[in-house]
Amino acid sequence: MSTSLEMKKIQKWYGGLHVVRDFDLYVDPGEFVTFLGPSGSGKTTALKMIAGFEQPTGGDIMLGSRSIVDVPPYERGIGMVFQNYALFPHMTVAENVAFPLKVRSVAKAETEQKVRRALDLVKMGEYRDRFPNQLSGGQQQRIALARAIVFDPSLLLMDEPLGALDRNLREHMKIEIMRIQKELNMTVVFVTHDQDEALVMSDRIAVINEGRLVQVADSNNLYYNPKNRFVASFVGESNLLPCRVDQIDNGAGKVTIGDREPGVARLNGQSRGDSGWLFVRPEHIDISPRGANTDVGNVLNGVVESALFLGELTRYVVRCGNESITVKQQNRGQAQFANGSPVSVSWNMGNSTVLN
Amino acid sequence: MTTLLAKRKVAGAPVVNVSRSRNPLNGLLARRWVRGTIIATPILVLLVGFLVIPLSIVLWGSVEGSKLTFSHYARIFSDETNLSVMLQTLKVGFTVTLLSLVTAYPVAYLLTQIESRALSIVTLFILVPLFTAFLIRTYAWMIILGREGPINNTLIWLGLISEPLPLLNTTFGVIVGMVHVLLPMAIFTMYSSMVHIDHNTARAAQILGAKPVQAFLRVYFPLSLPAVFSAGILIFIIAIGFYITPALLGGPRDAMITQLIVTQMTTLLNFELSFASSIVLLLMTIAILFFASLFIPLEMIWSSSSLDNTNRHGRSQYKLFINAKRAIHPALTAVENLMHFITKPFLSRRARWLWAYTILVLLFLTAPLIVVFMLSFSSSSFVVFPPPGISLQWWVKLLHASDWHESFLFSVKLGAVSAIFATIIGTMGAFWLVRTTLPIKRALFLFSLSPLMVPVIVIATALYMFEARIHLLGSFAGLVVGHVLLSVPYVVVIMAAALRGFDQSLETAAAIHGARPIQVLRLVTLPLLKPALLTAALLAFLTSFDELLVTMFMIGRQTLTLPFKFWNDIKYELNPLLSAASAFVVLLVTAAILTTLWIKVRHDRRTSASNGQ
Ligand SMILES: Nc1ncnc2c1ncn2[C@@H]1O[C@H](COP(=O)(O)OP(=O)(O)OP(=O)(O)O)[C@@H](O)[C@H]1O
Ligand SMILES: [Mg+2]
Repeated sequence: MSTSLEMKKIQKWYGGLHVVRDFDLYVDPGEFVTFLGPSGSGKTTALKMIAGFEQPTGGDIMLGSRSIVDVPPYERGIGMVFQNYALFPHMTVAENVAFPLKVRSVAKAETEQKVRRALDLVKMGEYRDRFPNQLSGGQQQRIALARAIVFDPSLLLMDEPLGALDRNLREHMKIEIMRIQKELNMTVVFVTHDQDEALVMSDRIAVINEGRLVQVADSNNLYYNPKNRFVASFVGESNLLPCRVDQIDNGAGKVTIGDREPGVARLNGQSRGDSGWLFVRPEHIDISPRGANTDVGNVLNGVVESALFLGELTRYVVRCGNESITVKQQNRGQAQFANGSPVSVSWNMGNSTVLN
Repeated sequence: MTTLLAKRKVAGAPVVNVSRSRNPLNGLLARRWVRGTIIATPILVLLVGFLVIPLSIVLWGSVEGSKLTFSHYARIFSDETNLSVMLQTLKVGFTVTLLSLVTAYPVAYLLTQIESRALSIVTLFILVPLFTAFLIRTYAWMIILGREGPINNTLIWLGLISEPLPLLNTTFGVIVGMVHVLLPMAIFTMYSSMVHIDHNTARAAQILGAKPVQAFLRVYFPLSLPAVFSAGILIFIIAIGFYITPALLGGPRDAMITQLIVTQMTTLLNFELSFASSIVLLLMTIAILFFASLFIPLEMIWSSSSLDNTNRHGRSQYKLFINAKRAIHPALTAVENLMHFITKPFLSRRARWLWAYTILVLLFLTAPLIVVFMLSFSSSSFVVFPPPGISLQWWVKLLHASDWHESFLFSVKLGAVSAIFATIIGTMGAFWLVRTTLPIKRALFLFSLSPLMVPVIVIATALYMFEARIHLLGSFAGLVVGHVLLSVPYVVVIMAAALRGFDQSLETAAAIHGARPIQVLRLVTLPLLKPALLTAALLAFLTSFDELLVTMFMIGRQTLTLPFKFWNDIKYELNPLLSAASAFVVLLVTAAILTTLWIKVRHDRRTSASNGQ
């Protein structure tokens, strides 16, 4: 049973500190939404308000059609996975998972059956009689997940649930969580400051900065069409070159990059004379010997400042005037450029956008 | 009108807030307040109603109320006898403190180094004497130091003396007895702070070229000074309030201030004078505590970890030690070099020497209990050691001594009721103290420990006067109040420590998964606090079970408690029946401690890892 979640103009003040500002977000039933943002941006605070541990200073939160701001946590029917798991150390695995059912006075037989189903779902069936301190971190994580879903919550919250795991385990748990979410068709709000996690797992990502929702979009859109400079630099690697719009030409703009080079880029609502940042991903830039023929809209001449051979690709930093441009080139056996080589870098208009 | 509107607009966000907390049950702020008030009330009522108010009555009485006369104070300080009693009190207190600290330090030091199995065995040997009634231990010393006690008998047998030495009823007797009583406390107080000192700092010093003795003196010892200091303060303020030991082991010239107050109250019936003496004793204690507070955070004396970070204190106190050290630096170096030569052979096999010493101390601590045990099987009808033969007669007698049974049962009942109340009140108080966001948290914590700071005799006098006024004196309830008051601080210390280590996200997790506040408490919080609760309850029970002074004042015509019966019988006649009764109590205490330890170990093993995360 999954439910929609809606945050309407949510505000949170801590004393004089405005920690969450104007949150407006609608999460579809069965959707996996991730809060992504730097440390201290207010992700946990937003999650706490959904869970009911903190009261919003203003605004309303709807779970399905019901406003829940005045409902205490224990009546919200939400499941949650904590960063430190928060398993009850004095209860066995089975008792931990049965806890949400026990406090709801669910009948014994039903409890037993649901606990077994939840444990099977996280593949921990044979550990039911262990105590949490007899489990590894990843196993504890699975139990925490089982406990959060055993009572078919209308919404599942996760606050950096993978933060305490090592890298391999993290990759593995990502996939497990996605599998379980699809299997149960659960509405999930997931918090992380790890962009890889966000890009892989989410249906939509809500990027938060300084308490504000900056952009809410799916991974693809977020990556290729960031809304502003913050999103572009926070998600993935990007080149951001200062530029000025000279002329507008049905949606595309002729711009001046830096203080002299001409270029073309998609516009993002700017008008003539505005200055902004020309955004282009390193993998969208081609690098070629100086003077080679290219017919794309943007060509800059420069000198290779550093070249890092990384196997499948080579990462160049090219100095063009005052700007350093990062280029990632797939290696298909072509010649490499050495430090100091004069080169041209070029990219399509369609791959670059002017951001504020 | 326009200004009104403008105001509304400015106050936009808060308005939403107000409308929300209109539902008084759900507003978080309201709930916190209500909850805080509910859990704070019992301990505040207890402390204000039965400590602050009674003490004020004593203070008021000592100046004869509105007459505001200081004649009683003048009399205390002009009377030769009174003055010498006070001097004696300070002298004995100081000697005992020094001896206890010096004796205890190496043991505490060893305890910080050994692995857990050995630690729990040594701990047990210290815990049992710690929790055995003062009275029983003092009784044991009366036997050991007596004319026909083991010491005199051994010396005569060795031919070193021909006449028994007068050991009992001397200052020597008092000091030995008091050191014995206070030593376990000194060891534990120092250990609980010293265990946080990292031995690697001293090791690092050695690697950097410091001789072992230098490493110890320059690195470890200065770091342990706050621990020593706080233990010293604790021992001193307890020592100057002693009653049982000087009364039983000392002679007429060894009287201490508590005996003076008891005499003034019960024999001279001069209440105002006794009030004035009580206030003098209280002021002495307060002065000492104030002095201590200049160097260490006061709560460190009673609980090894304090409520908040005490870095600020740590620094100032450390600076003081550094200055002191700088002043004596040249002398220190010379002494160090000398000591290095003397201690080289010892320190290189330090652990072995420390162990030998520790075993000696443990022997000193347990020997009296063993003597009592052996005497309980004596075939003689007098207290002679070693007993001439073995018989069970005293145990049989104890089996049929209905007065002892009644006292025992009454003490158990009193202890159980007091422990239950103290545990409930103290635990609620600890919850409040740890979780409140009030800025005066630390002061409140200290206030909740105040029954440990006020000398017991002062509490006894004050409660006596107060309960007489409200017609509670001589009732069971009156007695329980006294005992609860004395044991609540221990509960607060233990529970506050446990709550500080408690992972609150567990409660949050329980709440979001559907547990109501009461369910959270019942299913998560309390089960996790079980070992601490048990320890606290046991400590409260034993405090009540051992208590004599307050009981003497409050008991009225009720059945005598076990310690009171002991007290009466000891003063009347020393006989092996007392040994049998003592031995029985020691066995019970040991069993209780072992059970608690066992439960705690089992619980810790289960929950340790996840607490560590
Ligand atoms: N109880 C509180 N009182 C006052 N300020 C708080 C409180 N909780 C959080 N804050 C502040 O609110 C801001 C947002 O905190 P929050 O925990 O939501 O950040 P976050 O996005 O979860 O960061 P992280 O990735 O580090 O977990 C921070 O500046 C923090 O200092
Ligand atoms: Mg966070």
